[in-house]
Amino acid sequence: MKILIVEDEKQLLDSMLTFLKESGMICEKAETLAEASEKADLYEYDCVVLDIGLPDGSGLKVINILQQKQKQTGIVILSAKNSLDDRLVGLNFGADDYVTKPFYMPELVARIKSVVRRRAFQGKNEILFNEIRVVPDEMMMYVKDKLISLTKKEHELLLYFLSNQNKVLTKESIAEHLWGDHADMADSFDFIYSHIKNLRKKMTDNGAHDYLKSIYGVGYKLSSE
Amino acid sequence: MKLLNLTNRYYIAIALVLLLVSSAFLAYRVLYLVDNEISEHMLFEKSEIAKQLEHQKGLQNLHLIFGDRIEIEPIPKFTSFRVIMIDTTIYDLYEKGKVPYRMMTYEQLVDGKSYRIKLARRLTETEQLAEGILATLLLVALDIIACFYFLNRWFSSKIWNPFYRALNVLKTFDLQKGGNTMFQRSQVDEFNALNAELSKLTDKVTRDYKNLREFTENMSHETQTPLAIIRSKLELLLQSELNETQLNQILSTLDSVNRLSKMNKGLIMLTRIDNDQYAGLQLLQMGKLLRKQLEDLELFISSKNIQLHQDIDDKLLVRMNPHLADILLTNLLSNAIKYNLENGDLFVTFTKDKFEIANSGHPPVLSPDEVFDRFKKGESPDSIGLGLAIVRKIIDHIGAKIKYEYKADHHVFSITIPVANLIDQEEEYQVG
Repeated sequence: MKILIVEDEKQLLDSMLTFLKESGMICEKAETLAEASEKADLYEYDCVVLDIGLPDGSGLKVINILQQKQKQTGIVILSAKNSLDDRLVGLNFGADDYVTKPFYMPELVARIKSVVRRRAFQGKNEILFNEIRVVPDEMMMYVKDKLISLTKKEHELLLYFLSNQNKVLTKESIAEHLWGDHADMADSFDFIYSHIKNLRKKMTDNGAHDYLKSIYGVGYKLSSE
Repeated sequence: MKLLNLTNRYYIAIALVLLLVSSAFLAYRVLYLVDNEISEHMLFEKSEIAKQLEHQKGLQNLHLIFGDRIEIEPIPKFTSFRVIMIDTTIYDLYEKGKVPYRMMTYEQLVDGKSYRIKLARRLTETEQLAEGILATLLLVALDIIACFYFLNRWFSSKIWNPFYRALNVLKTFDLQKGGNTMFQRSQVDEFNALNAELSKLTDKVTRDYKNLREFTENMSHETQTPLAIIRSKLELLLQSELNETQLNQILSTLDSVNRLSKMNKGLIMLTRIDNDQYAGLQLLQMGKLLRKQLEDLELFISSKNIQLHQDIDDKLLVRMNPHLADILLTNLLSNAIKYNLENGDLFVTFTKDKFEIANSGHPPVLSPDEVFDRFKKGESPDSIGLGLAIVRKIIDHIGAKIKYEYKADHHVFSITIPVANLIDQEEEYQVG
């Protein structure tokens, strides 16, 4: 999966590069609109992660360039100022999704993967993870070809883990992924715990290996070992 | 009481007292002079009578030329030179009643003959005079009061006009909107000085407020990127091999960063509402929004085993920005769940005359006034303390009112949405 990250804040750019690369993506970077336009025009990407407020102009122009090429490039906007306008304008311009700064890295990865899936396979492709198979648009998974239904939250949770395999996911980032604005409700961490417990049970009861590791005090990790 | 009325009250009181005193003095003086005049006149008559008696050598041709009663009666013996002057009443044929008179009685010797002479003069003039004076003074008093009344009106419409204008400008002055205050110049120096100072003051307040707002805005915007960087670096660190101490240190740092960024988000929200960045209005089905939010929060409601009581009128539409409506409901509802009790109640009422969210809970730590203040938090140390501040900001923004009270073991938030922004679909149909 080839990604172009457009972000003028160098430190943040570096973090994203590192994290996305660790997630198995091939990444290129652009720090200015000129650079981003050039790369978007010359090369093919599966997804462009785009900061709108660039020093030499609005990142929206990159969306124009990508649309003219009529390629299946997904676009995720980094909404810099928590600004509704950035988001709405971006989505109206043809962006697929957005994350608001400051965001959780695993969240960004999940959004990118979801966008690419939707663009490239209209969500029909399945995600394979050893003996587990998940269809993104349906609330079910297959363990060794056995169909197991999931609740909405379990499904979202599983996809989040699958997008970030072998990564430590903090409880905060999981809570925000599952409940968005309601993430800071007092007992949301307990719910994560019970969701994970249920999910783990559904996997192991049907003969799958226990891949969901608890990392005490921090969160959880889906590890393939 | 208006200032003018107050001053007028004093003016009129003083004027009346002065009028009373001076009229008493005037009456006394005038009556005294008239009285004197009468007496002098009678004495003059006395000497005239004496002259006539000497000339005529008898009483045959005495003319009553002075309009006064004169009785001349011969007496056998002259007894005294005394002149007696008394005020008395005498029956008057013309008036058919007793009338006050002044009577002078004396004796006189003419050519060796003694006479007793009685001179009487009507005093009615004096009474009439006193009445006249009283009437005139009464008229003057009425004049003064009327005059003050009209002067008052004139003053307040003319001279005090700039003052009332300035007052009006201040009344309509809205710091949020920051409109510049225009005070009119007047010909009164005092008012101009007052206006100049008020102008300076409002300008300064507006400027300070703007600076403060800008500061909050810049501060929260500019901290966003560093926060994002810190968080991203910590997340990278988290993925590496760490021992427990390192892990815990990173976690607590991450925790603080999260708090900071929540705070940041809240402050940005507040400034953005201030800056009117949520301008787009739509007709919203508030009932639907409420249901949707309650559905999202179902898990948290049922986990505390909270009884949900809904009374929602789906036909009511509210005209407001959808984003703000969303935030408003999220903050109020999550609050009502967060601070609810196990097995508690949650009442959500949205009808034509009631928009209320109430939940069971412990007695409040904060007073009803403090609840909506920024960074005021009650029992929960984890909260940022901006949720209800944002609620109030939104409420103010849409011109609504919100009231908080704790009654019958329940925290009750009641909202009054301006009638103009509340549309009843059913009525619309009936009218249409």
